[in-house]
Amino acid sequence: MTDSIRSMFDEMPEQGGRIYSTEALEQMTGEPEEKLFSFAEYHPEEAERTGYSDYSYWKSVWRIFLKKKFAVAMVILFLAVFVFSFVALAIGKYQYDSLVPDNRQMFISPNGEYWFGTDNIGRDYWCQVWYATQTSIKLAAIVALGECVVGVVLGCLWGYVRKLDRFFTEIYNILYSVPTIIYMTLIALMIGRSFWIMCITLILFHWIYMAKNVRNLVFMYRDREYNLASRCLGTRLGTILSRNILPYLISVIILRLALSIPSTIGYETTLSYLGLGLDVNTPSLGILLRNSRAYFLDYPYLLIFPAAIVSIVTVAFYLAGNAFSDAADPRNHV
Amino acid sequence: MEKEKIILSAKDVEIQFSLRGDRLTAIRGCSLDLYEGETLAIVGESGSGKSVFTKSFLGMLDQNGSVTGGSILFEGEDIARLKSEKDWRRIRGGKIAMVMQDPMTSLNPLKRIGQQVEESILLHQQLTPAEARKEALHMLELVGIPDAERRYSQYPHEFSGGMRQRVVIAIAVACRPRILICDEPTTALDVTIQAQILALIRDLQKKFGMTIIYITHDLGVVANVAERVAVMYAGQIIEIGTAEEIFYDPRHPYSWALLGALPQLGIKGEKLPTIEGTPPNLFNRITGDAFAPRNRQALQIDYQVEPPYFEVTSTHKAKTWLLDPRAPRVEQPDSIKRLSGRMTVDYGSARHPHEDPDRETLIQVRDMQVTFGTGRRKFVAVDHVSFEIYRGETFALVGESGSGKTTIGRAITRINPISAGEILYKGRRISGRISKELDREVIKGCQMIFQDPLASLNERAKVDYIVSEGIRNLHMYRDEAERQEMVRNALCEVGLLPEFASRFPHEFSGGQRQRIGIARALIMKPEFIVADEPISALDVSIRAQVLNLLNELKTTYGLTYLFIAHDLSVVRFIADRIAVIYKGRIVELSEAEELFRHPLHPYTKALLSAIPEPDPAVERNKDLVVYDPSVHDYTEDKPVWCEILPGHFVFGNSAELESYRAALRA
Repeated sequence: MTDSIRSMFDEMPEQGGRIYSTEALEQMTGEPEEKLFSFAEYHPEEAERTGYSDYSYWKSVWRIFLKKKFAVAMVILFLAVFVFSFVALAIGKYQYDSLVPDNRQMFISPNGEYWFGTDNIGRDYWCQVWYATQTSIKLAAIVALGECVVGVVLGCLWGYVRKLDRFFTEIYNILYSVPTIIYMTLIALMIGRSFWIMCITLILFHWIYMAKNVRNLVFMYRDREYNLASRCLGTRLGTILSRNILPYLISVIILRLALSIPSTIGYETTLSYLGLGLDVNTPSLGILLRNSRAYFLDYPYLLIFPAAIVSIVTVAFYLAGNAFSDAADPRNHV
Repeated sequence: MEKEKIILSAKDVEIQFSLRGDRLTAIRGCSLDLYEGETLAIVGESGSGKSVFTKSFLGMLDQNGSVTGGSILFEGEDIARLKSEKDWRRIRGGKIAMVMQDPMTSLNPLKRIGQQVEESILLHQQLTPAEARKEALHMLELVGIPDAERRYSQYPHEFSGGMRQRVVIAIAVACRPRILICDEPTTALDVTIQAQILALIRDLQKKFGMTIIYITHDLGVVANVAERVAVMYAGQIIEIGTAEEIFYDPRHPYSWALLGALPQLGIKGEKLPTIEGTPPNLFNRITGDAFAPRNRQALQIDYQVEPPYFEVTSTHKAKTWLLDPRAPRVEQPDSIKRLSGRMTVDYGSARHPHEDPDRETLIQVRDMQVTFGTGRRKFVAVDHVSFEIYRGETFALVGESGSGKTTIGRAITRINPISAGEILYKGRRISGRISKELDREVIKGCQMIFQDPLASLNERAKVDYIVSEGIRNLHMYRDEAERQEMVRNALCEVGLLPEFASRFPHEFSGGQRQRIGIARALIMKPEFIVADEPISALDVSIRAQVLNLLNELKTTYGLTYLFIAHDLSVVRFIADRIAVIYKGRIVELSEAEELFRHPLHPYTKALLSAIPEPDPAVERNKDLVVYDPSVHDYTEDKPVWCEILPGHFVFGNSAELESYRAALRA
């Protein structure tokens, strides 16, 4: 058969005859014709060496997030504010614990002695603002973590165990349809106001949003074939949830966590401002704003400093969180 | 047919994609002359670039891809240079149209069917709305939609998959394109529907004189439709010729491998020839012949110099150094030679486990019913099904999508609860509530292999964890060292390297992932495995690897399989007995060869006639049998499940059974 085949370039010397002539081939490869046209050794490992991609989910998330310079700047800005709140207390001229009301020092505008001025009863505002920043961030972190733990655990059950679906959906309907502010008012009036009451009530009413989110995702992954395989292998429910499903939810959980921090700070500020949040003696940014409300027209610095910090922290977290959610979406990993 | 005029000419097309900062060359210098009025099929595995290549004729490459070299001449214009959407709109639809794979996603679910057809007519033809409506109705009739007037104002969800694909075709053809590109038009459809759609496209081609490009991985479909065939590998056409030339006299080693790996051409009980390895990584520069590392008969030169095209006949070209006069002669493999004379091969000589008088019943299903939903929305997925599976056999369950075959498999592995009847494993009931010890025993004894190698592995766990999941649950090892040893053995068993244990699933190709799934089941040392379409989602070359592996494990460990499939041709190669299921009922059950020789139930006949054979001569002369369920009149004469011959069961009423008996006597 072979000899009846005319190679195409025999007829078209200008196209290939020159390139593929024995001399040209030998020159190109530096090997004699007999060797070139002999069988090569077959390496099975060479064939098994796959063309797999080295795609890694977290690496890609990280890479895309770092590309968003603005978001990275926001994260740095937040960290800077948080770290500075400690530094500021250390370098400040007054300690929060030893502040005493002093009628003579009322409403002093910011100067070399009182860097943020003094408040209506003559206390140093600098150390109050930074102490309050810490309280607010602490509260937000505790609430976010609490929401996350409760929401993920219950959300997983809600999504995986069909029988519980109705029950949780009704809870969701109740919590969702009545504004949080009403619950908060009731609790503040009936139980009282303190840092921990605030934490617990916020967790109590906000876990459901995390749970709903988690539930939708669990629903999506529950009947994937790899979970059926696990059921065939007799894997227990807890293991299926923690090993098979949770790892897929991490990015969403982190995102919600990041977004719940600014919203909690916002809630705390609003509620405290309305007098339904923390008690007046716990300095938080909301309490400072509440205290300044009667005087800020005359002494705007009382409003501006805490308000600026609330804005910086919430906006920075919000923008960084959104950037992260874009980065965590595998569709953007091209 | 006149095949002189070239309608489209692609020359040295190169297409690149930028992906995560890297450049991927998907098409590496591809040339193609398309003749007016012909039907060309482009065949290749996934990733070979067949879709990308043809999408560039329409300017429909993804955002991150572009034609970076070469030219595509169409109507005297180089369309590879077109940039703006406005320019493309002149060509797209009106001149070159495309039918996509999935009829579920290519129609707008919120618009009436008729409007969608009308829309495409109005865009490309100067017609008044009234005329367009008439034309749309005409198109719907033309593509075989019965009662077009009423169907015109229905929504896509009221159409079945096959009917939707007909509508998609109507939309594509409505503008009378010169070239119609069909990208896997029937892959998402059932076999019987597939045959009808292929026939429809052929009719339309005759009527409108279109040129058609088929993109497919199914060589049966190619044999059915194509006049010319182009085989693609790693972004290049490596062989092109008429269908007869490619099927009966292929010259490129990759074409040999592709054809040889078809189970239809295999001999039962023997290994299928396979192509080891996976296609090359297109991020890398490829020197020489891209197929060389997987080719057992590669020449030294294949690794160094890219082969040119050699002309076998004026229509047949192949890109391999084997055709060079200086190269040593290499014989075509036997399986290719067998292609024409294949039907005479006797499949029936092997002994089957169920013929053994001392056969042991491993699984027994009695009057099983599975329903989903409750009350008025109750849906009966499996309706009073009974069968037995004997130790050591491969029992195949064949049916269309939605027939309930997967539900049966899942009921046996107890993923889906059953609503009536019972399932026995070694004579003991395993459905419903069972004791803890029996539960353990069933988990150990009955395992499952899944269809989709992408979805069936936990992407976020290491292979080590995935494979040892079962033995962890049942504490089947003494210490950590023994567990690792077991994982290593299981991986070796399925032909994977032990060091793969520390990797994540995404690092593997489809075939390797499927083997990980098999290792996961195998490590439990099961007796019975439900294989739920284990090869349907795999490429042709990888199918052979997996089928060989399943057969090998069966002989080594005496495994018993329930093999669920929609493809009768694959089942013929692997199964001892076949049950055909239609709408939740088994309509016929028999020894495999007996079923192929004497199909009795009309549905079995339709299914058999619809199987695409990888043989152009057979495909072109076949008569399609269409199954019409209304031929059964079960109002008075109730149907029964009857053993009409020893081992051959069929579902029918007394009149039908009488006619089946008459057919068997004849």
